[in-house]
Amino acid sequence: MFQALRSRWQRWVNRRIPRADKQVFSQRNIFILPTGPGVVFGLLLLVMLITGINYQNSLIYLLTFMLGAIMVAAMHQTHRNLADLELTLVQAGEGFCGDRIPFRFRAVSGKHDAVAISLSFDEHTLSQQHVPAGQAGDLVLSAESPQRGYFRPDRVRVETRFPFGLLKAWSWVRPASFGIAYPRPVPAPDAMSTVSDGDDQETARAIDGNDHADMRPWREGDLAQRVLWKRFARTGQMVIADWEGEQGSPHWIDYHAFPGVDQELRISYLTALVIERGQTGTPFGLNLPGQVIDPDAGPAHVNRCLKSLAVFGLDKPRDDSTSAFGSRAQTDGTTVIGEVG
Amino acid sequence: MATLPGNYEVSGFSGAEVPALPSRALIWVIASFALLLVPQWDRLPVWLIASCVALAGWRWLAQSGRVRLPGKWTRTAIMLGVIAIYVATVQGRFTVDTAASFFVLAVGLKWLETRSTRDFYVLFFILVYLATVNFLFHQEIHWAALNLLAVGFLLVGLQTLNAPDLPESMRSGWGRLGMMLLKTLPVVVLLFLFFPRVAPLWSVPLVSGEARSGISDTMRPGDISNLAQSSERAFRATFGGELPAYRDRYWRGLILDYLDGETWRQGQGEPFRRPGRVSVDGGVGNLTPGQYDVLMEPTDERWAFVLEDSVAVSNNVVPTDEGLFRFRRPADTTVRYRMELQGGDSENAVAEDPQTLRRYLQLPGSGNPRARALAEEMKADNPTPEALVGALMSRFRQQAYYYTLRPPTMPQDGIDALLFDEKRGFCAHYAGATTFLLRAAGIPARVIVGYQGGDPGAGNEYLVVRQYDAHAWVEAWIEGQGWVRVDPTAAIAPDRIESGLRDAVAEEGSFLENDWASPQRYGNMAVLQWASLQLDRINYQWQRWVVGYQGQSQMDLMSRLPGGFGLKELGYATAGIVGFALLVAGGFSSWQMRSSTSRDPVMRLIRRWYRLCERAGIPVRFGETPAQLAERIGSASPRAGGAARAFARMVNKHYYGSEPRADQRQSREKMGRLLITMRKQMLRDTSESGETATHRH
Repeated sequence: MFQALRSRWQRWVNRRIPRADKQVFSQRNIFILPTGPGVVFGLLLLVMLITGINYQNSLIYLLTFMLGAIMVAAMHQTHRNLADLELTLVQAGEGFCGDRIPFRFRAVSGKHDAVAISLSFDEHTLSQQHVPAGQAGDLVLSAESPQRGYFRPDRVRVETRFPFGLLKAWSWVRPASFGIAYPRPVPAPDAMSTVSDGDDQETARAIDGNDHADMRPWREGDLAQRVLWKRFARTGQMVIADWEGEQGSPHWIDYHAFPGVDQELRISYLTALVIERGQTGTPFGLNLPGQVIDPDAGPAHVNRCLKSLAVFGLDKPRDDSTSAFGSRAQTDGTTVIGEVG
Repeated sequence: MATLPGNYEVSGFSGAEVPALPSRALIWVIASFALLLVPQWDRLPVWLIASCVALAGWRWLAQSGRVRLPGKWTRTAIMLGVIAIYVATVQGRFTVDTAASFFVLAVGLKWLETRSTRDFYVLFFILVYLATVNFLFHQEIHWAALNLLAVGFLLVGLQTLNAPDLPESMRSGWGRLGMMLLKTLPVVVLLFLFFPRVAPLWSVPLVSGEARSGISDTMRPGDISNLAQSSERAFRATFGGELPAYRDRYWRGLILDYLDGETWRQGQGEPFRRPGRVSVDGGVGNLTPGQYDVLMEPTDERWAFVLEDSVAVSNNVVPTDEGLFRFRRPADTTVRYRMELQGGDSENAVAEDPQTLRRYLQLPGSGNPRARALAEEMKADNPTPEALVGALMSRFRQQAYYYTLRPPTMPQDGIDALLFDEKRGFCAHYAGATTFLLRAAGIPARVIVGYQGGDPGAGNEYLVVRQYDAHAWVEAWIEGQGWVRVDPTAAIAPDRIESGLRDAVAEEGSFLENDWASPQRYGNMAVLQWASLQLDRINYQWQRWVVGYQGQSQMDLMSRLPGGFGLKELGYATAGIVGFALLVAGGFSSWQMRSSTSRDPVMRLIRRWYRLCERAGIPVRFGETPAQLAERIGSASPRAGGAARAFARMVNKHYYGSEPRADQRQSREKMGRLLITMRKQMLRDTSESGETATHRH
């Protein structure tokens, strides 16, 4: 029963707030309710009124009415804090899963100051930012993704309790764009490392030994270079020589270097290797089933490899209605007014 | 690798860290607390104020990092100590007074554990209620202003708490609060006027159980002369007709008929009655010529002070058998009541039965032998009571008796000493002595305590009676005439009765000699006198129209409005006001929203276009040009495509082309028409696609 109500409410909210990187808050999508202190304050007003009645004290009536009216005025004020505020996701971040991935929002306030705005997603909160009337500022909300892949905060709650904290007005942004969560790096069991640890020497040699290559039939995604063309010419069969470790010259980081290992773990190994290469600055290529990134070096290349690893085997989740990624994603020119550290 | 489980917190023993509440918010609350203590200054025990100041100071020092807040044990010890002292002083009395002290105490203790936002709100709630309670103690306009200011401090503090790093928080906080007050003022005024003032729901504790300065129900010879040093206001009286002459302003309060050694008491104590509900009726409507209203300051007693020969008009006073008046509930706050003067002395002629009269002949078994001898002597000389009273008054008038605020102490046989040796005394001395003599001579007599006099306030609208007008006089029973007033003071110091205490003791210079701050002391300084009277007048009007706006006066006001408003109608009116106010506020804000988003008429048209698209299931993408959107409309709904493209062209032309100003209006109209066409086409397309869909099934 409660669950059903909850999901109904959820659906209703989702209808009101379509998935979009840009959200302008207005009466349509701002919700307002008293906070805990607000409820207590309401009870206090009631007690004050009863005190006024029982002591027949006009001034207590007056104070009660004034505070009650101010509470209503505060409702207006709290609503106005959010109203007309335009919040756009201008940059969906990238980062390792488990780390904080930054999402940069551009806030543009309308005719009134937007005071004490806080963004939150799950337990991540960016609190207390002010956007003066007619100005813009960037808010960076960081969130953690539990697993690799496409990642976005499903609903970012935008809330304000200003001026008195007795009422809260809130709404949501449901970003359409995705950030990317890189896989969690797990140190690989020294498959193609140039450094060899004493303990792992035996295993290393077993994998590393370039004298025994596995022969196996060709399958989709295999590199053309690997096909034993001479053998093809002779027998007409496409056979692949699976060189474990590419002749000891580890230019390639290969998905197939860890046969039998669980896919996710394999991806984590590869991620660790990519990071390692990226740090040493040596050129490398990435070989994934269905995707090959040619050897190269530099941060952009590392980034590209990490992205491929992140989304390997995953489809981009589809929305009922997606909007394009914010095209005006220029980040210079405005100041970052809040960032979760 | 071994890690420590969780966060390792060391607290509880070694004093807590300085909390993270913004100092600028905290200072407002401390300031508000200080303001709210001011009206209670005279009521609160010194130890409580001292500990509150100390605790708040401690909190402030902790905020600035100079000291630490106490740890759990110290805190508990302080709390138990202070509460123990409180319980010892309160002794089980339960009044608003003790409750208010408790609130003050609670706030004081709360300072030591104000760490989080939640504690801040707890303080806020207690302080708001403290402000409420303050209204029960003082209702004068300046105290009301002070209370409201303190609440304002709290609200500014809350704003600072909720946005601590907002620049210029103080100025903008007051500005915002002021705007809110201004905007809601009409609603507040209407609510104040129309909110139904229902009768009290239940009986509530008295505001104060402490004795206040004022007339008491016992009279020792020195008592009233102490009171004469106070210029505090006792009550104000407004007359429907002419003000009575000064010498007739005898306000009777209570009867002291039992002499106990040197002390006069009430022979029959006041019967105990539960306080009862606060009365709603203080008399309504205009005063008729014989009527008068009394607006009495709180005394915490049931005594009402009324002129001789009055009957009650309002329902909150009831007559006693002795011809006095008592409130239904002790006057714990300012109370208004209405009386009417009866012509003639019909009431005085009431026959008292001999049993009752014997009560008024009571004297102690021994003491004051010379006075008793004098009484015997005078009785022998004057056979009738009238003659005897006359002779006594002549004695006071002719012999060298003095009226003084500095009487000598007469410890032994005080009446003898006064009558034969010292011959210097205050009204209480002479009233007591006269009653003694009359009783000794066999004439029933009693001491009456109340006020005599009263000075007109600004504009002669009302009389102000102050504590120094307190007076004691005598009533003697004379067969055939009933109780007759006998005032020895009138014989000794006629000025006291004709024009007041100031003139009576002018030579002595003892008028308010200990009360430096009283404006009444400086009667010769006209400006000061005038200012004080004007202030009193403002307060009088405030009391009468704002503080005194209660059930009866509301009904009175409503009865003057057309439509015959009763309580029920007022309830409807209130609901209407609140609903209307909310409606106006909502409408205003939505109008403001609309006007703020698009002052540009073309922008408004574009927004309409967007809404139309959203409704037709074509979401508008961020950063899309009008032409792109039009293309997508064309692919989704071919019929509407033409109109959409035309519309997009016009938008571009408006913003980027050089359209003459004169044509703008026309093109806007055309754009409006295009929108209408587009909607029709879209509807047709969707309904057709719907039909095809149903056909297929």
